[in-house]
Amino acid sequence: MEIPVEQVEGVSVATLDVDELDAGNSPEFKRDIAPALQANTKLVLDLSRLRFVDSSGLGAILSCLRLLSAKNGDLKLCGLSKQVRAAFELVRMHRVFAITATREEAVHAFAH
Amino acid sequence: MPTSPAEVSGIVESLRRHATYSLGKAWGDLSPIDLFNAVALSVRDRLIETMLETEERYRREDPKRINYLSIEFLMGQSLGNHLLNLGIRESYAQALGRLGANLSVVEEGEQDAALGNGGLGRLAACFLDSLATLDMPACGYGINYEYGLFRQEIDNGYQREKPDNWLAQNSPWEVARPDDACYVPVYGRIEHATDRKGAYNPMWMDWKVIVGIPYDMLISGYGGRTVNLLRLYSARSSHDFDMQIFNGGDYFKAVEQKIASETISKVLYPSDSMVEGRELRLIQEYFLVACAVRDIVRKFERSHKTFSRFASRVAIQLNDTHPALTVAELMRVLVDEKDLEWEEAWNITRATLGYTNHTLAPEALEKWPVPLLEKVLPRHLQIILELNKCFLNQVGGTQEGSVERIRRLSLIEESTPQQVRMANLAMLGSHSINGVSAIHSELVKTSLAPDFFALFPERFNNKTNGITPRRWLLQSNPGLASLIATAVGETWITDLYRLRLLESHAEDAGFRADFGKVKRANKVRLAGIIKDLLRLNVDPDSLFDVQVKRIHAYKRQLLNVMQIIDEYLLLVDDGRQPAAPRTYIFSGKAAPGYWFAKQIIKLIHNVGRVINNDARAREWIKIAFIPDYRVSLAEKIIPAADLSEQISTAGTEASGTGNMKLALNGAVTMGTLDGANIEIREEIGEDNMFIFGLNAAEVQTMREEKSYRPWDYYARDPRVKRVADTFSSNLFCPNEPDVFTWIFANILDANDEHLHLADFTSYSEAHQRAGDAYCDRGRWTRMAILNVARSGKFSSDRTISEYAKEIWDVRGSRLVEDLTNAAPALQPL
Repeated sequence: MEIPVEQVEGVSVATLDVDELDAGNSPEFKRDIAPALQANTKLVLDLSRLRFVDSSGLGAILSCLRLLSAKNGDLKLCGLSKQVRAAFELVRMHRVFAITATREEAVHAFAH
Repeated sequence: MPTSPAEVSGIVESLRRHATYSLGKAWGDLSPIDLFNAVALSVRDRLIETMLETEERYRREDPKRINYLSIEFLMGQSLGNHLLNLGIRESYAQALGRLGANLSVVEEGEQDAALGNGGLGRLAACFLDSLATLDMPACGYGINYEYGLFRQEIDNGYQREKPDNWLAQNSPWEVARPDDACYVPVYGRIEHATDRKGAYNPMWMDWKVIVGIPYDMLISGYGGRTVNLLRLYSARSSHDFDMQIFNGGDYFKAVEQKIASETISKVLYPSDSMVEGRELRLIQEYFLVACAVRDIVRKFERSHKTFSRFASRVAIQLNDTHPALTVAELMRVLVDEKDLEWEEAWNITRATLGYTNHTLAPEALEKWPVPLLEKVLPRHLQIILELNKCFLNQVGGTQEGSVERIRRLSLIEESTPQQVRMANLAMLGSHSINGVSAIHSELVKTSLAPDFFALFPERFNNKTNGITPRRWLLQSNPGLASLIATAVGETWITDLYRLRLLESHAEDAGFRADFGKVKRANKVRLAGIIKDLLRLNVDPDSLFDVQVKRIHAYKRQLLNVMQIIDEYLLLVDDGRQPAAPRTYIFSGKAAPGYWFAKQIIKLIHNVGRVINNDARAREWIKIAFIPDYRVSLAEKIIPAADLSEQISTAGTEASGTGNMKLALNGAVTMGTLDGANIEIREEIGEDNMFIFGLNAAEVQTMREEKSYRPWDYYARDPRVKRVADTFSSNLFCPNEPDVFTWIFANILDANDEHLHLADFTSYSEAHQRAGDAYCDRGRWTRMAILNVARSGKFSSDRTISEYAKEIWDVRGSRLVEDLTNAAPALQPL
C-alpha cells in the first residue's frame, strides 16, 4: 500500500491512498505505515480519500496511536468523511483521537 | 368515488405501459402473476406521488414523528386495500374490464405478505392503516423477511410446514432504498481505555458488520391524502465477500460468511415464544433496533442541530419486548456517538420511548442470557448493567428497598447463567407502559409488574386494541358495508362509533331481512371455499360456528372439540338432536415445535372425519378445518361467521382482536370474560353474547387454592365422563390406536392450567342457549346487527387516537379531534 508522507513544520503528514480500510488490507497498512511511525512521533494521518473503515481498520489506526503515545508522541486525524467519522463514533474512538477537518488544522494543532 | 371515462382511459394506458416497459410483455401474454404486477405497479405510481406529497407536507410542517417498531407486520394482501383507500377501485375494475380482465381475480392472485405470526403482527398492520388514515406522520420499522410465516398443509390430519418464500416474485409494493443503507455492528469486545481527557472510554472493538438495506412498503390512508412508509430492512453482508478470507483463497468460507450475514433477515421465527437463547433471534432483534434508531436519528438531524428537542419531535413505540434493546441502543447512540451526558441521554430516552406489553405469563417474557449478550452486543450489555446499577442504587435508597423487591426489579435475573429481563428493561426505559385491554392492563399492574407499578404508577395505562374497519368491514365484507352505507351513510368508515346509528334498524324487519341475505351470501361463498379445499359439503343455512386463531392450549380449541363431541354423542347415543344444524369451522396454525397444538389439529381432523362420515350426524354436525390460515383467508371466513368462539381461560388472553373482527361482521360472541371480551360485553351487552365460565379472579383463586379437581367433574357429570372417555377409547382414532389417550390424562390432571373441565358444563349450556337463539332467526339477526352497531369502540382509529393523545403527545390531527367530539355523543345508550 502506498502511503505518501510529507514533512510540514516538523510534522509528518501521511495520506492514506485507499477507498477502504478493512480486514483485507489493514495488515498491509500496519506494515507500510511503520516507517513513518519510526521516523517521527508527530504524525498526521489524512483520511480524506477513505470511504469505508471496518473494525480491523479502526484497530490498525488505534495501534498507530498507541505506538506514538508510548513515545510521548501523537497521531492526529484529518479529512474524515461522514461515514468514516460515524465508524469512529460508533466505537467511541473519536474521543481518543484529535480529529480535525483539514491537514493544516492538524499540523497547527501540534504547535499548541 | 365516481369514475370518469378519462380516468378509466388513463388507467388502461398505465396498465399497458407497465405491461410493456416494466414487465416486457404484450398485454395478451401476461400470466396471472404478471397481470397482478401490472396492476400493482400502476397503483404504485399513484401511491408514490402521494407519498412524495405527504413527505413534503411533513417537511414543511415539521410535526412530531411517530415510529412504530415491531418484529412482525402481518400485512396480508395490499392491492384491494390501496384501491379502496385511494377511491379508485371502480375505475380499475372498469379499466381491467376493457382489457378483458377481472379485478377480483387479479386481487385474488396476490400473495399475502405474512411477515407475522398472529395478533401482534396484525395489530401492527392495523395501526399503520389507522395512522395513515388519521394523517399522522408515522413510520413503521420491521424486518423484510425473505420467508414469511410457513404455509400450512395437512397430511392425514397432521400439520406440515412448507416455506413461504413470498419475496421470490419481488413484491411490487416494496421500493428499495440502498442510499439509506446502514451499518449494524455485532460481536466484538470492549476495550477499556481512557479518552484524551483521561476519562474512562470503553471502546467496542473487533465487531463484524452487517448492512441493513431498507425497503419501503407504501401505506395508504383512507381518503388518499396520506401515504406513509413501513420501512423493512434486509440484511446484506458488508462486502460481497470477506476480502481477507477471499484473498486467502478460501472462497467457500467467504461465501458462507456472506450467507451467514444475510441469514439475519431470512426467516420469521414461527413461534411467538420459545425463541429465547437463540443467537440468530437476538441478532435479528438488534438488527431491527439498530437500523430503526439509526434512521430515526438521521431524519431528526436533518432539521435539528442538537438533541434537546428530540423527545418532543420523536416518539418511538415498542410493540412488545422484541425491540426492547432500543433502550440500550438509543442510550449508546446519544452517549457514545453524540457525546451527550449520561443523565441527559437517559432523560431523552425515557421521554421518547413507550412500551406496549402483550404478555401476562411470566415464563413467556423475553430474557437473554448475559453471556450471549456479552458475546453479541458487549457495549449494550455494559450500558444495561450501568442502567441497572443506577436504578438499583436509586431503589435501594428508599425505605421499602427490601432485597426481594430489588431482586424482582433488577434488569438482571440472578439465575445460572444470569439473564437480562427485556420487559424490565423496556419498563425502566419508557415513559409509558401500556397493556392492550382493560383487564390486561390491570393485570400488568397487579400481577406482572407490581413493583414497577409501585415505583412509577404514572407510566402505566391501558390502550385497548382495535382493528381497522377499512380492511375488516369495507374491504372484506362489501355486501354488509354497502347495506350499512345505504342505511346510515359512510361516515362509519373513518368514525366507527357512527355504527351506533344502525341500532334502530335492528327493529326494522326489512333491514333484518337484507342483513340476513348478506350474511347468507357470505356463508355461501365460504361453503364454496370449503367444498373446493376440503371436498366437504356444508349447509349455508346451518349455524357457522367459527374458531379461527393460533392453535394454542390457552385458546382452548380442545374445549371446543370436547363440546362438539358431547353434542355428537348426545345425538347418536341419546337421540337428542341439537337445536340447530351446525358447521364448526376451525382454522389456524400451530408453532412447528409445539407438540400439544399440533396434536389438537390432528384431533380436530380425526373428530371431523368420524362425525362428517356418520350418517346419523350428517344433517346436524359438520366440522371443517380450513388449512393455511392467513389474513386473506380470514377476510373470507369472518364475514361468514354466525358464532365467534373466544374461549380462552380467563386471565390468559391479553386482548384478542379476532373477537373484534367477528363482532364487527355480525358474529355473536361465545366467550369467557377474558381480554377484550369484557369490553365487548360492556359495549354490546350480555344479552347479545353468550358468556360462560370462570372469570379471571375465580381462575386465580382456583389455582392458588389448588381447588381444581377434574376427577370430581368426571365422577359427577356423566356427559363429562363420556366425552373424556372417548380420548382413551380410540373412537376417533380407530386406525391409530391410543393417539389421543394423552388428552384423557391431560384434562384429568389437576395441574391442567386451562381448567377444561371446570368450564365444560357452563360452555355446553352456553352452546345450548346459542343453538336455541339461532332457531329464532329474527332474534338472532337482531343480536347480530347490535353486535355490528356497538363495535365502534374497537376501531384501531380510536386506539391510535388514544396513543397519540396520551402517550405520544400528538395533537391537532383532524380525526383525533373528531373522535373526541363524536364519540361521547354517540356512546351512551
